[in-house]
Amino acid sequence: MTTALKTPKGIQWGRITRDGLWSNNVILSQTLALCPTLAVTGTATNGLGMGLATTAVLIVSNILVSLIRNVVTPEVRIPVYIVVIATLVTLVDLGLNAYAHELHKVLGLFIALIVVNCAILGRAESFASKNGVGAAALDGLMMGLGFTIVLMVLGGVREIIGSGTLFSGAALLLGQAMSFLELTLIPDYRGFLLAILPPGGFVALGFLLAGKRLIDRRAMRK
Amino acid sequence: MSIETPAPSAGPFAHERVSISRTMGLVMLALLPATLFSLWQFGWPAIYLFLVTVATVLVAEAACLRIAGKPIRPFLFDGSAVLTGWLLAMTLPPWAPWWTGVVGGFIAIVIAKHVFGGIGQNLFNPAMVGRVALLIAFPLELTRFVNPAPLFAAGSPDWQQGLAITFGGQFPDAFSGATLLGHVRTELGQGHLLSDILPNLYSPVADSVGTLAGSLGEGSALLILLGGLLLLYKRVITWQIPLAMLGTLALAATLMHLIDPAHYTGPLYHLVSGASLLGAFFIATDLVTSPVTARGQILFGAGCGLLVYVIRTWTGYPEGVAFAVLLMNACTPLIDHYVRPRVYGRDRQGEPLEYADEAEISR
Amino acid sequence: MNATTWSEFRQGIGYQGLLLGVTVTMAATLLVVADRVTREPIAQRHAEDMNASLAQVIPPALHDNDLLANTVTLNDANGTPVQIYRALAGDRVTAVAFQVTGKGYAGDIDVILGLAADGKVLGARVLAHKETPGLGDKIEVAKGDWILAFDGRSLGDPPPARWAVKKDGGDFDQFSGATITPRAVVRALKGGLEFFATNRAVLTASPGNRQN
Repeated sequence: MTTALKTPKGIQWGRITRDGLWSNNVILSQTLALCPTLAVTGTATNGLGMGLATTAVLIVSNILVSLIRNVVTPEVRIPVYIVVIATLVTLVDLGLNAYAHELHKVLGLFIALIVVNCAILGRAESFASKNGVGAAALDGLMMGLGFTIVLMVLGGVREIIGSGTLFSGAALLLGQAMSFLELTLIPDYRGFLLAILPPGGFVALGFLLAGKRLIDRRAMRK
Repeated sequence: MSIETPAPSAGPFAHERVSISRTMGLVMLALLPATLFSLWQFGWPAIYLFLVTVATVLVAEAACLRIAGKPIRPFLFDGSAVLTGWLLAMTLPPWAPWWTGVVGGFIAIVIAKHVFGGIGQNLFNPAMVGRVALLIAFPLELTRFVNPAPLFAAGSPDWQQGLAITFGGQFPDAFSGATLLGHVRTELGQGHLLSDILPNLYSPVADSVGTLAGSLGEGSALLILLGGLLLLYKRVITWQIPLAMLGTLALAATLMHLIDPAHYTGPLYHLVSGASLLGAFFIATDLVTSPVTARGQILFGAGCGLLVYVIRTWTGYPEGVAFAVLLMNACTPLIDHYVRPRVYGRDRQGEPLEYADEAEISR
Repeated sequence: MNATTWSEFRQGIGYQGLLLGVTVTMAATLLVVADRVTREPIAQRHAEDMNASLAQVIPPALHDNDLLANTVTLNDANGTPVQIYRALAGDRVTAVAFQVTGKGYAGDIDVILGLAADGKVLGARVLAHKETPGLGDKIEVAKGDWILAFDGRSLGDPPPARWAVKKDGGDFDQFSGATITPRAVVRALKGGLEFFATNRAVLTASPGNRQN
């Protein structure tokens, strides 16, 4: 049985951060969670909302899984993790619906999608179940942020090409204070519908993946 | 990712004078009569759109070759890119604005062709990818057809008015007309019967000669058929795909027409309307994106024909050749996997053929 | 309990079962508690949402009752139950609102339709649709004022034959490039008006006089 990875000097802040944000990024490297990625990134705001909601669930689920990692046996770990994650998502869904209804109207669709986000089970399985609570929480945060950034970039690219705006509807998600984010970059733009529709998501994601490979290769050569 | 073939040092190698340029040249030759006729029918705006599309495709091809570090001249002028642009232009509404040709051309070459690895590597027919992408992205511009206004005829736009239509975004509503397929779908949707709709505007003759509204390639069924026969005669294409596609389409149409003649149009209507013939002879037969075996090609063509009928009859779109071909393109690897050519000296299951008893031979 | 027996116990089927049982029980308990706590606020939020959409089609001045409290359910021509919200001023029904559904290009279009007691349209608003962005979505009041063209109309104005989009010989505009969407909305509204005409007596009867 694999024992918990011994971290000689406490939590490896740098490595976990780099993994989550870039080198082991949920979308760009693991290519996990593509269903929510393609489904909700019609605008940068939607990408941000989905990313933040996922990050929150990811942090808490990583902490919980890390806490019970010594109790859970390998044979039943998958059902246990699934129950933990599904319960968590349902609690978040109910809570938002009751106490932050406006936010829930925007995020409601995404929250249900988080249950099927394999990245969360992936992190529980490959990191949280083998590491301490602090490292697991940090991993959840960084993986979540990496996910959020890619979703936001993807949503932003599709939104700019598709409708000529950026962060439309941000005030609904983040409150009136952030309404300055809502930009109309190309006035009187007639729109390129394809970018907002699912095929545009696939094409844009393809170019993002290729871009990451390109940057990595350039960096290796140096 | 180039495939290297060692130079033949010995053995029974025969060289046939087939090259990409020759194939492409023949296809263009076959397309020429129908294209010229349609360009004449739809006048200057159609000519401008055609030129813009072909020019875009060449620019996109050159740019992609440069980025990929491939030699530009031989690939650029082998005719495959020009043909892609040509076919794309044939499927656009003739008076569509110039930027539809530009966007469509770039999507066809960059996304459908070079992202997959360039010539011979693409999974989907580039021209059809370009067209479908345009149709989804600009449903308004891509469904705005005009009635024919032949070059130099009275009332047709002259070359300056043509410029205004193609490049100035001025669409004269007076010329607008629905395609036959589109019109019949609209009328049927409102509960009219075919017997009330068709006699007013449909004559198989006008439809075959090409004096109805439509895209360039939907124009003259007769000239397209002629071009297709030339390709068959020159062995650029084989009979399997066109025959299976048109046959299945006609069969489905006949069947439904016999069941309910008031709501389902007959086989001739389906064969000469829209892009059936262009699709069957020039698009579905694309060597790269269709199966390699004869049996596979029959399956492929039949699938195209059936899908065309289904899309035309029961979906939201009046015409479905592009969608049908793309969907069957996606099935091509599967077809090739299951319908394999028989390896020489082996049966279809891959087992060595059994020869006559060796003892018999030695005796 | 020494180390060996503990690790043996952990390998046993009993421990696995116990672990799963405990996890699921805890999860279920949490969910039951959360559901209990949030049920009331969530119902209230949904009522607020419904009220907000009703307020768009029934002016608040027309009623002094809680629209959600006095609903009636009737079957339409197809036998589908329709929930009708009634606006009361004192004992008199001043307006009704109910949801109609049209078959759009990409799926159902849900429209809430408010009618005055005399059968005139007070307002119509699209609640949900899946139409193509930039093309069919002009039926939303946020994207265009097309839907406002129905205000003040009734089943006789225009006459029933002209309750259609212009392409079908009616009075209402279609959008360039999109006919199916507006046609679906017009048909749905016409259906709603006919439904009201059929059931007018029941719908506008003062609730005090109603037997059931």
